[in-house]
Amino acid sequence: MFEKVLIANRGEIALRIIRACRELGLKSVAVHSTADRDALHVKFADESVCIGPPSASESYLLPKALIAAAEITDAGAVHPGYGFLAENADFAQICLDHNLVWIGPSPRVIEKMGDKAEAKRTMQAAGCPVIPGWDGPVGSASDGRKAAEEIGLPVMIKAVAGGGGRGMRLITRWENFESTFEMARAEAEAAFNNGDLYLEKAIIEPRHIEIQLLGDGLGHCIHLGERDCTTQRRHQKLIEETPSPVMTAELRQRMGKIAAQAAAAVGYASAGTMEFLVDRDFNFYFMEMNTRIQVEHPITEQVTGFDLVKQQLRVALGDPLPDQGKVRLRGHAIECRINAEDPARSFLPSPGTILALHVPGGPGIRVDTHIYQGYTIPPYYDSLIAKLIAYGNDRSEALARMRRALDEFVVEGVRTTIPFHRTVLDNPRFVAGQIHTQWVEELMEQDAAKSAAA
Amino acid sequence: MAVSRPKVEKSRFDLQEIKKLIELIERSPITEFELVAKDLRVRISKNGSGAPAVHEVVVPAAVLQTAPALAVAAPAAEPQKQLYEFKSPMVGTFYRSPSPDADPYVRTGDSVEPGKVLCIVEAMKLMNELECEVRGRIAEILVENTQPVEFGQVLFRIDTSAA
Repeated sequence: MFEKVLIANRGEIALRIIRACRELGLKSVAVHSTADRDALHVKFADESVCIGPPSASESYLLPKALIAAAEITDAGAVHPGYGFLAENADFAQICLDHNLVWIGPSPRVIEKMGDKAEAKRTMQAAGCPVIPGWDGPVGSASDGRKAAEEIGLPVMIKAVAGGGGRGMRLITRWENFESTFEMARAEAEAAFNNGDLYLEKAIIEPRHIEIQLLGDGLGHCIHLGERDCTTQRRHQKLIEETPSPVMTAELRQRMGKIAAQAAAAVGYASAGTMEFLVDRDFNFYFMEMNTRIQVEHPITEQVTGFDLVKQQLRVALGDPLPDQGKVRLRGHAIECRINAEDPARSFLPSPGTILALHVPGGPGIRVDTHIYQGYTIPPYYDSLIAKLIAYGNDRSEALARMRRALDEFVVEGVRTTIPFHRTVLDNPRFVAGQIHTQWVEELMEQDAAKSAAA
Repeated sequence: MAVSRPKVEKSRFDLQEIKKLIELIERSPITEFELVAKDLRVRISKNGSGAPAVHEVVVPAAVLQTAPALAVAAPAAEPQKQLYEFKSPMVGTFYRSPSPDADPYVRTGDSVEPGKVLCIVEAMKLMNELECEVRGRIAEILVENTQPVEFGQVLFRIDTSAA
């Protein structure tokens, strides 16, 4: 077993993992690039190691540096967080080869479920509905067109190795199909070093609903309700909530059961999430699985009382998983992702120094953040600076607390998405829960048209 | 926490701020730095291009009076050693010799030249021989044998003026 955990990540999630380690009496090792010398995860970990220059490919993405850091600090386990190497089966295997416990599913499961086409086949075999589409990567743009004609418009182009919306394109007309296909390929190539694309039927005006899972790696899996991540922009999640405003107990039970059964069948260990698209008639289709802890995990923690990161560590330590009967959902939680981006300038990244900071508090408010007054947000990594989570006995109390907390949140020195969130939280369609995954883009187009007309 | 930024607008620097500035530049890849404010000029040069002094600081008399210690670094200082900092290009374990029984690659006072192996840093069971990039004499060895080292950690100081 292990007593010391190396955290192969940075930012708020590194801090989140350090907190879980501390509560379980485990020692933590932070790694950092030269750009993150003054980062909070470095200050709060028991030990820290500088592993490389600012460029992620030479630091946070470099297995050699991470393994060497684990060796010189005598760490017994590696927690990958999210992003970076969290879903890299090769890195998971390297950790195991160096006698380090990998806090996540086995490399074999990461590979199986991380590859979208493979995951779809696995889910289909487990009896889960999947989005109709081409089974495997398509080669050229003309092959892509042939596949798209078979499926019928509208069609979605997606990257096999993808995530976060990169390499993704919606096709509603045949016009410019080839050039759009090539653009998606270039984007996928740049983002994942893998330009393989596949196509599937586009579900119009769907909701994005995902199921949180925990597995013990021995065939036991439980589900912890859903998260509704429909508020997105260009497939980047902005606001998540649980329960979903459209969910019924019957549908939750059905989706949860099928997801947990499929995960148990592959021997899933640790925390994982299955993402589904849900159409207007409440048909659900498996989209992909994230074989790691997710950014939006805190809302599930708020309504279930489970500490998901501690559960990940416990599973890795060999502790038994609680039974499904222990999972009770109570109240409503919502998360706003606060990014250092300028919503007025199409969410342009806004790195810089935090000159003044006031973090909201009070009843039902949780803030997971790594920023502090005087902290300089480096331009090398992602723009997430805080996760603001509001909890209430019901949805309207959670929304009221979120509005109040957004009003209390002061970040000076950089632009943030706080004003955007404040606008959305007042929007009647959002309040009514009548939205779909392209809603934010439509809203922004309307706003742009309005201000152009004014 | 973050290093406070020198306030360029203010005409008077205090000693602390100048020290910080020197530290900041020492850690950066900048080789030369000049700042001209209302009644003050500070020039810091790392490689001594032209002038032999490592740091050349010109401060107003008023500041000098309150901080006599700084006079050491003033232009009148004796020609100093040119110390080159040899830093670890990776995280790993530092070894001074190719095997536990072998002689160390270098000792303090040894002459070195570009291409000369100075030490090994082991990462993931791979022994990486680190070669010298400059000509000079080993002035200081800052890390003990088998000690863990970070990326960017100074391993040797090499006196390049002795070459």
